[in-house]
Amino acid sequence: MNKTNPKIMPVMMAPRARATDPIRLKAWHGAALAAFVVLVSIPAFAQADGARDSVFTALARWMPLLLKGFIFNVVISISAMAIGTLAGAALGLGQISLSSWVRKTSWFVTQFFRNAPWLVLLFFAMFLLPFELRIGGIIIPLPDYLKAIIGLSLPVMANVSEIVRGAVVSLPSGQWEAAESLAFTRTQVLWRIILPQCVKRMLPPWMNLYSILTMATVLASIVGVSEVMTLTGQVLAAEGGRTDLLLPIYSTVLLMFFIYCYPIARLTLRLEKKFAVKT
Amino acid sequence: MINKFLKGLTTAVALGAFAFAAVPAQADVLDDIKERGVLRVGVKADYKPYGFRDTSGAIIGIEPDLAQDVADKLGVAVEFIPVVSSNRMQFLEQGKVDLMIATMTDKPDRRKVVSIVDPNYYSSGTNILAAKSFGFTAWEDLRGKPVCGIQGAFYNKKTGRDFGANIVAFKGTAEAYAALQAGNCVGFVYDDSSIIASLAQPQWSDYEMPLPTIDDAPWGLAVKLGEEGFNTLMSEMIVEWHKSGRILELETKWGVENTPFATAMNAKYQ
Repeated sequence: MNKTNPKIMPVMMAPRARATDPIRLKAWHGAALAAFVVLVSIPAFAQADGARDSVFTALARWMPLLLKGFIFNVVISISAMAIGTLAGAALGLGQISLSSWVRKTSWFVTQFFRNAPWLVLLFFAMFLLPFELRIGGIIIPLPDYLKAIIGLSLPVMANVSEIVRGAVVSLPSGQWEAAESLAFTRTQVLWRIILPQCVKRMLPPWMNLYSILTMATVLASIVGVSEVMTLTGQVLAAEGGRTDLLLPIYSTVLLMFFIYCYPIARLTLRLEKKFAVKT
Repeated sequence: MINKFLKGLTTAVALGAFAFAAVPAQADVLDDIKERGVLRVGVKADYKPYGFRDTSGAIIGIEPDLAQDVADKLGVAVEFIPVVSSNRMQFLEQGKVDLMIATMTDKPDRRKVVSIVDPNYYSSGTNILAAKSFGFTAWEDLRGKPVCGIQGAFYNKKTGRDFGANIVAFKGTAEAYAALQAGNCVGFVYDDSSIIASLAQPQWSDYEMPLPTIDDAPWGLAVKLGEEGFNTLMSEMIVEWHKSGRILELETKWGVENTPFATAMNAKYQ
């Protein structure tokens, strides 16, 4: 006979209490991450001799440059987010337009850019845009980082468009009906009643998107923008192929992104809880 | 009223004249550079010691020094624009840079795209860095074995096709060196002058450059196609560099052994 106990049926197990808060990083997690960076540097530290300096000295030497590169990533992310949000809000409102032509066009544009790989869009922006615009006698230069911002703002635009549409649709239809019964025009309903209620619903996914965008800015290194990943490669080259620096420097870059993005993720989670729709 | 109209007319005429004037100015980049006051040079930023970054982020090395010489001669400031192998000729074609000194090997097909200046300013060959214990003696010994390389280097193809090595290409030198040390490949195919520089470091004491150098190919600096005036000026500059021993001097300054090419060119122009 097999040994399964016939008395225990696979149904009606007592419900297990679910943790109210999923695993939550605390300060010591960050310390552990930093310790990891230090640990991987130790073998190199041990073999440091007179000819070349330790990993720590090398890291400290390059830190200002790497930080400058990282700030550039932040600038790219903020600019792309700003452009993408403005364009995306317009596109999102287009998706709920009464004119079927506007609605369909907005839907198509949204779907097109939402379902395209970010890197491919970035390449498109890089190679389709000229390096300077000539309007009459005035030359407006389009540096690479500007093209990268435009390229990254396209998928942001499409995602924001969906966030806006989703938020508007998610409001109970009673809001529309009540407002219309009070003789508000459609524009008034949208701007005074619907959108103000949408803002708090849109905030968490919007911040999520920003986090993802920030991490995606390193893609710009592939198209030659001098951001933190490009600089990391150049720093390693400047150190003359020192293999012991590879892990510490990449870990440092990782840590920078983590320190920047993690608080955003925490805040998003908190806002999500606060604005959670109780059903 | 009339005044306002006249003012508008003057502005329009001035703008029109400016637009008109801007077109012929494109014909000679030298005038553009002098008017702008800045010479934009495309250089490598990840190729020690020919072009790399210092801790402040500035680009330094042998090629930036040469570019500085050109700017001094023209009496303008210099601006370094970092390029990589895949975009350096595009940048020149688009006019993003006026001059390109970026470790580019002089190839006939490249001469169709950009205007490479004669004589060549530098030269390097291909060799491998490998552990002494392997005891390689000929390129054919690499057949069927994994060999590290750099993405976009022209000698990868030759090493793979003619000698049957399996090329594992990396983005940067640091990654390739790390892979070599970790034993992911038996050798690292690269420029001989850079390998000599690496061998001087204690961490590579168990390694050697065992094979005969192949593909000793000259490097060409380039200007945009059709810029005859600039090409002639650069040609004179290169002759001057060889004659005065400037290239040899820069090699010493940046810790490279004097290459046979630079020594021979220096002797030739005496």
